[in-house]
Amino acid sequence: MLLTQVLVNGILLGGLYGIMALGMSLIWGVMNIVNVAHGALIMLGAYLTFWTFTLWGWDPFLSLPVTIGVLFVYGYVLQRFLLNLIVRAQLFLTLLITFGVEVVMVNLARIAWSSDLRQVSPDYAAANFSVRGITVPYVRLWVFCATMVLSVLFLLVLEKTRLGLAIRATSEELRAARLTGIPVAHVYAVTFGLGAALAGAAGGLWGMLFPITPVMGGALTLKSFVVAVLGGLGTMMGAIVGGLVLGIAESFTATYLGPTYPNAISFGLLVLILIFRPTGLLGRRG
Amino acid sequence: MAGDRIPIALGAAALLILVATPGLLSPFLVQFLINLFMLAALAESWNIIGGFTGYASFGNVAFFGVGAYATGVLLTTAELPFALALAAGGIAAAVFAALVGMPILRLKGHYFAIATLGVAETTREIVYNLRITGGGTGLTMPISRSPLPFYYLMLSILLATTLVNWWLSSSRFGYGLIAIREDEDAAAAMGINTPLYKTIAFSVSGGLAGLVGGVFAYWITFIDPEGVFKVSTTIQMIIMAVFGGAGTVAGPLLGALVLSSVSEFLSTQLVSLAELVNGLIVILVVLFMPRGLAEMIRKRQFSLRDFARNFREYRV
Repeated sequence: MLLTQVLVNGILLGGLYGIMALGMSLIWGVMNIVNVAHGALIMLGAYLTFWTFTLWGWDPFLSLPVTIGVLFVYGYVLQRFLLNLIVRAQLFLTLLITFGVEVVMVNLARIAWSSDLRQVSPDYAAANFSVRGITVPYVRLWVFCATMVLSVLFLLVLEKTRLGLAIRATSEELRAARLTGIPVAHVYAVTFGLGAALAGAAGGLWGMLFPITPVMGGALTLKSFVVAVLGGLGTMMGAIVGGLVLGIAESFTATYLGPTYPNAISFGLLVLILIFRPTGLLGRRG
Repeated sequence: MAGDRIPIALGAAALLILVATPGLLSPFLVQFLINLFMLAALAESWNIIGGFTGYASFGNVAFFGVGAYATGVLLTTAELPFALALAAGGIAAAVFAALVGMPILRLKGHYFAIATLGVAETTREIVYNLRITGGGTGLTMPISRSPLPFYYLMLSILLATTLVNWWLSSSRFGYGLIAIREDEDAAAAMGINTPLYKTIAFSVSGGLAGLVGGVFAYWITFIDPEGVFKVSTTIQMIIMAVFGGAGTVAGPLLGALVLSSVSEFLSTQLVSLAELVNGLIVILVVLFMPRGLAEMIRKRQFSLRDFARNFREYRV
């Protein structure tokens, strides 16, 4: 019984890791940028939800579209007017500049919201139900459902729309995409915007389950990276599967080994996967 | 080489002045200089793996922290004399870097960068959970009265680190590292034992950072995991090296001098904004001068065109 409970907890958390990693994997796969500011985007999404919830009493699930919209615009502007300037430079430099963006965002958040722990707890936060002795909090279930809906929507955009086609074409061959008339600067910015929107959604949902602080993003960047690598870079299904795997792994280790080593777990997983299956769980070989 | 004479003469003159004068300086200036030596030594030590070898480590603060904690624990719990504790701290950091390096130096690019970030975070977590390190409450060192021993110690470590870099810039081993940076497969094909070279470079880089950490622990008298394993310390090492010129001997020194002066000035003006400005500096350096100050001075490229060259080349 405990086993099933732990498994369910892991899966419910894993959905969130999935959409975090989806955004990271998209930005990485298309533009070859490892976005160290990804966690900061998640943090921003969490604070936006906190704001609309605390100031205007909006339900955190209903304010999700607003958070997603704001983060999309923010991501678009960031890529279009800053990252696009050096997007084809060495990997080290693009990684370093997103580091700079992260530091700036975290410190602005410190000024705007202070370093206190914040929480988004709607009045249904404590409600739960039991099936055959397994307790499931409603919020966790709805958060999981929201992540699945967002993942499916995102995959549809990427696979079925002209925009998705343009993103995939640009990802495959920048010069050829430009020759066929794709406005690559715009497509890059939209791609980053989509990644940021997913991060923002993850943040908005995260805030209902865990406390929000300006520095919450660092560990989440690491987790998003681990999940993206775990699932197989550039495969979008991989990110979702990887998220579930990390969620389950964390849930089991927290139950049987204690909750003191959350980063060590994801880092250990990263090293294992890089050694034994460098292309990821669902990645292609070679 | 003739071109080296001016920087060497300048460096020697600066060193003489620094050795001769600390007694005459104000306590504030002495503290500033100790901090400057520390950051410059860290930037130079990062330069060995990040600049010469081309492996962008984002986790060197782990070795700084291991050095600080090994020294701290031996100093307080084992009550060893400081010199012994410091030496042990440096060795511990070097051994730790070698052990960690063996698996993760097989990774490249982004994977290596994030793996090192993971090493730093994990090390902090482990130190936080151990009993011998004092966990989250930290360790308090015996208090020493005069700052001058720290001044000379940091200066000596900075000198040693700079000499290692200088030796790398003109030795067979250093050329091997540069070859790895330029093309690792070609380097291996030419008979360089690349895993060994990389591991030694990583270990030396870590060991020197560990020595700095050891002196830091005793100087600052109190260490805790949050204060010692700061990601921003790694960022400072990297940005000082890159701003001055990664892979050059003088670059990290220049970078540390300019940037720590700027941030010292800023933090006396607006304390809360100092770190924010650090982030902005990272962004501006990547945009406008990724090749570094040393290179720009050497080639005398200071027109607006030269600053814009980077993103003329790499934008979409």
